[in-house]
Amino acid sequence: MPVEIPVEKWNGQVHQVKLGGAGGRKELVVGGENTLPFLKFEGNIPHRPAVAIEVVDQPPQGWAEPLVKAWGNVLQDPAAWAKKAAEYGADLISLRLRSAHPEEGNTGADHARKVVAAVLAAVDLPVIVLGPEVAQKDNEVLVAASEVGRGQRLGLGDCLDKNYRTIGATCLADGHVAIAKTPIDMNLAKQLNILLSDLGLPLDAILMDPTTGALGYGLEYTYSVMERLRITALMGDKMTSPPMICTAGEESWRQKESKATAGVPQSWGEQEQRAILWEKITAIGLLNAGANVIVLRHPRTVEDVKAAINKLSA
Amino acid sequence: MSRFIATAAIRGARAIVDEADKLLTDAVQKLGPDTPVAFPNTTYFLPVIYGLTAHKVQKLSDLNWPLQHAKDLLPPVPRGNLWLPYLGETLDAGMATLYAEEIIEGVRWAKGEQPEVRNGYKLNGPIDDVQMRAWGIQMVDGRMPGFAAIIGAAKSNEVAVKIVRELQSKGQLVFLIGNNKGRSIIDQLLESGVELGYDTFTVTFGTDTVSAIYALGYATRAGISFGGFKAGDARANLLYNKFRCFAFALALGPVDDLKYATAAGAINYGFPVIADTAIPNILPTGVTKYEHVVSLPFDDIAGKDDLEKAERLVQRCIEIRGIKIKVAQIKIPVAYGPAFEGEVVRKENLRVEFGGKGGMAFEWLQTKNLDEVEDGKITVVGPELDDAPMGSKMPLAIMVDVAGRKMNKDFEPVLERQIHHFTNGAEGIQHMGQRDITWIRFSKSAVSKGFHIKNIGDILHAAFHNQFGAIVDKIQITLYTDPAKVKDLLEQARVVYQERNVRTANLTDEAVDTYYSCSLCQSFAPTHICVINPERVGLCGAYNWLDCRASYEINPRGPNQPVPKGAVVDASKGEWEGSNKFVYEHTNMAVQRMTLYSLMDAPMTTCGCCECVMVLLPETNGVMIVSRDDYGQTPSGMTFTSLMGTVGGGLQTPGMMGHGKFYILSKKFISKEGGIKRVVWLSKNLKEEMAEELKEVCEREGVPDLMDKIADGTICTTVEQLVPWLQEKGHPALAMDAILQ
Repeated sequence: MPVEIPVEKWNGQVHQVKLGGAGGRKELVVGGENTLPFLKFEGNIPHRPAVAIEVVDQPPQGWAEPLVKAWGNVLQDPAAWAKKAAEYGADLISLRLRSAHPEEGNTGADHARKVVAAVLAAVDLPVIVLGPEVAQKDNEVLVAASEVGRGQRLGLGDCLDKNYRTIGATCLADGHVAIAKTPIDMNLAKQLNILLSDLGLPLDAILMDPTTGALGYGLEYTYSVMERLRITALMGDKMTSPPMICTAGEESWRQKESKATAGVPQSWGEQEQRAILWEKITAIGLLNAGANVIVLRHPRTVEDVKAAINKLSA
Repeated sequence: MSRFIATAAIRGARAIVDEADKLLTDAVQKLGPDTPVAFPNTTYFLPVIYGLTAHKVQKLSDLNWPLQHAKDLLPPVPRGNLWLPYLGETLDAGMATLYAEEIIEGVRWAKGEQPEVRNGYKLNGPIDDVQMRAWGIQMVDGRMPGFAAIIGAAKSNEVAVKIVRELQSKGQLVFLIGNNKGRSIIDQLLESGVELGYDTFTVTFGTDTVSAIYALGYATRAGISFGGFKAGDARANLLYNKFRCFAFALALGPVDDLKYATAAGAINYGFPVIADTAIPNILPTGVTKYEHVVSLPFDDIAGKDDLEKAERLVQRCIEIRGIKIKVAQIKIPVAYGPAFEGEVVRKENLRVEFGGKGGMAFEWLQTKNLDEVEDGKITVVGPELDDAPMGSKMPLAIMVDVAGRKMNKDFEPVLERQIHHFTNGAEGIQHMGQRDITWIRFSKSAVSKGFHIKNIGDILHAAFHNQFGAIVDKIQITLYTDPAKVKDLLEQARVVYQERNVRTANLTDEAVDTYYSCSLCQSFAPTHICVINPERVGLCGAYNWLDCRASYEINPRGPNQPVPKGAVVDASKGEWEGSNKFVYEHTNMAVQRMTLYSLMDAPMTTCGCCECVMVLLPETNGVMIVSRDDYGQTPSGMTFTSLMGTVGGGLQTPGMMGHGKFYILSKKFISKEGGIKRVVWLSKNLKEEMAEELKEVCEREGVPDLMDKIADGTICTTVEQLVPWLQEKGHPALAMDAILQ
C-alpha cells in the first residue's frame, strides 16, 4: 500500500549568506533552504551545513587533555593550527582572539592584526574572527581584524546588543558578515537583526548565534529556540531568516563530562571517547535544530559530524 | 523661509559658481585638461561630487561636468518684489555652492596650493580615509556624537578656546574653518597655544569659507562607508547624515553671502547652522531634525562673562542638533552597580537617614522647558550632612527638573519611580518607597568615603541621561534640606501627586486609540502576548499603559510595541480588530482573538508571571481570585501553583485567567460578566492589602457591603462550604444572570 508522505509548504526561506569568495578566499555559502533541516523531500536545501574548526590565538588555557593531544604543537601557532584544521577537513576557520581578554593577556589591536593576517595567509578557507567576549575589547580587536581582512568577507563577532553599532558598521564598511549573538531568546535574536538592519546591514550579511547549550546543559533549550526561529523564518518572517551558527565544541568541552578524568562513575567510560561523543551529540542535535554552521574542536568529531551531515543530506 | 537668507544664499551661490568657472578655465588653459586632480589619501575622488553623483574626478577636465551641474542647479536671485522664495531653490543654491567649492579646492590641489600654509603653520586640509574610518566608526556607535564646523573667528581668543574646549568635552569633533575680516579661529587657537590635530579631535581645514567643503566631504565619505549604500545615492547619503551624524555649523562673526550659501549646502545634509550674530532665524523643522538656522547674538546670551556665554552657546548648539549626552562614569566616592541594589543599612551602621517613620522626605520629578533647565546643575539648598549627629534624621526634598523634546508630562511618574532603582545602586545607600513615602539611609562607611547628599544628584543626572536619553535631554537636580523649604515644597508636591492620581484614574481605554504590547515573557511562553490598556495593568503588575508607552519611546524596537485598536468588534467584551490582528501575528498565530474585559470569551492568556488567577466557580455563578502570595487551598480545588499549570504558558482557557491585582479595581474588571459583583472568594492577603481601595470600588459599583460577602481562605476552601455561606450572606452573584450560557 503506498504511503503518502505529508509535505508541509512554507512561504519563507532562510537567507543565503556568503563567506569568503573574494581576495583569494574560497567561497562558502550557507542557508537558502525553504524547509526544515534535512527534509529534502519537502523543499529545496541548496547548501549543506558547514563545519568550522575553532582556532585560538594563544595556547588555550584549561583545554582537556584529549584536545591538547589531538592538536599537539600547532596550539602554539594559530597559523599552523588553521592549516592543520584545513587538512582535517574544516569548511572554514573560527579564530578566537582570546589573548585580548583583559585577564588572559590583554593584547590589543596590533596583535590582532598580526594574528589575523597570519591566519589569512596560512589558509584559503573563509575565516570567522571572534573577540575575547568583553565588549570593549571585542570592538578594539575586531575593528583591527576587519581592516586586515577588508573585502575578504570574514565573519566578525560577537556582535551583541551592546556593541552592534560598532560591529555592524565595521561589517558594512569592510564587507564582512556579522555574527549576531543573543542569549537563547527568539525575540532578542529578532530584535538584534532588526537593529542591524536599521543600521543598513543587509540580512545576507548576518549569521545568528542563538547561544549554544551543550548536551545536558541546556541543549534542549537552545534546540527549541532555534526551532522556533527557523519555523518563524519559514513562515515568512524575514527578521528571523539569517542562517544560524552554533559553537558546539566550545560548549561541550567546557562541561564536566568532557573534562573529568577521575572521580566519576566507571560507567562513564574513558575520557577521550566520552568527550568526543559529547561534542558529537551536541553538534548533531544542533544541526537537526537548524544550525547552518557548526563550530567544533576535536578533529575526530569533525570527521564524524561531516559523515553525519553527508548521510543526512544524501 | 527667510527671504533675506534665501536672497543672500542664492547671490552667494551664483558668485562662487562663477568664481569656480573662472578658476577652472584658467587652470585648464595654464596646466592642461589632463592635469591630475585628487585630494590626498582618499579613494573617494572629490567626495561630495562622487558621493552624491557617482562622478569620478581624476583630472581637471573631469570638473567640467560638475561645474555644469552646479550651474544648472542655480536659481535666479529673487527679485525685489518676490516675498516668498521657495526653500527648494535655496537648497539647490546650497548644493551648487558645495559643488563649486569642491571644484575650487580640486583646482587648488591640482595647482599645488593645498593644504594651506598660514604664517608658517601647515593646515591639515581634508581628512584622510584612515582617520575618516576611525572616527566614522565612533560616530556610528555613538562614542562620538558628531562634528562641529566652526566658521569665522570668535569674539576673543579666550572665547575661541572656551568654545573648542566645551565641544571637546562633549566628545564633538571640531573642524576649524574660515575667517572674519582676515582673522581666523585657527589663528586664535594657535596664538593661545591650543594643540590642534587628529589627536585632539581638532582639524584645521582652511582659513576661507570654501574649505568648509572638507567637512561635507568627510560626512559624505562616512555615509558611503557606514551607511550601506553606494556612491551616487544622494538621497540615502543626505538622510543618513541627517539622522546619524550629529553635526552642525557654528558661524562666528558676521555672515556674508558665501557663508549663507555654504550654510544652505549644509542644510541639505540636515546640519543646522547656528550664528553668534543677529541674523534671521529659520525655525521650522524639516530638512534638519530641529531648527535650520538659529541666531544667538553672543552679547545677548545670558552669562556673567564671555566664558560663561561661550559655554551656553555650545550648550544651545548641542540642543539644536539634538545631540544626546552620555555620562560614561558616575562621579561618586562609592562603588555603583546592580550588586548594591538590595543592600540594607542597619541602625548600627547608620550615619544619617531621610524620611521613614517621623521623617520628611519626598521625590518630585517635573518637566520644564529646555531653557529652564541647566544640564548637570546640582544644588544643595540647606545644610549638607557633615554636621548632622550620628544616626540622625534630616528632611530632604529631591527635586528633579528634566527637559527634552520628546519628554511628555505623562512620563513624569514613570521616570520618578526610577529614582528608587537609581539611588539604590550606590554602595552603602538604601532607598525605599517613592513620592512622599521615600526613605533613604546613608551608611557610616559610605559617608566616611565622602558620600554626600549632593552625590544623589550626580547619580540621578548620569542615570537619567544614560537610561532615558531618548526622551530626556537636560537634567538638573536640587536637593533641599532646609526644613521650612522642604515642608513648603512637600505640600506643593502632594497637590501634584493628587493631580497625577486623578489623571491616571481618568485615563480610560476610550480616551486612547493605541494600546501597547509586552512580549518580554515570550522567551519562555512563546505564544503569549500581553496587551496593556490604560484600564488594565499588565498581568505581572510591573507594567502599566504609561510605562509601556514610555518604554516604546525609549526603545522603539523593544518589547513594548504600539497596538492600534482599530475598529470595535464588541465594546462590551473589549474586543477590537486591531488588537486581535496584533495578537494573532505576535503569538505565532496561536491565539486568534483576545478580549480585554471578559473571562468567558477569549480571555487574555498568561505567561506565568501573573499576580492573581481568577477561576470560574459555576456552582456560585461567580468567580474566585487567588493571589500569588496565597499558598493555601482554594474552592477551585487547586492552589495557585497548580492553577498556573492550567492557565500559564500562553494557553487560552475560558473561565480561567491570570491578571494583575490592580485590575480588580478597574472599571473594566471583567465588565462583560458584571465586574466585581461576580467575586465570591478572594485571597485574604489581597483583601487586607487593598482594603481601602476595594471598599471604594464596592461603593462605586453600588454594593458598599460587598466585601463582607466575599469569602477567603480563613472562611472556607471548598465550594461545598462556600455556596451555603454565600447564600447566608446574600451575595449578589447568586441572583445575577447565569455566567455560564
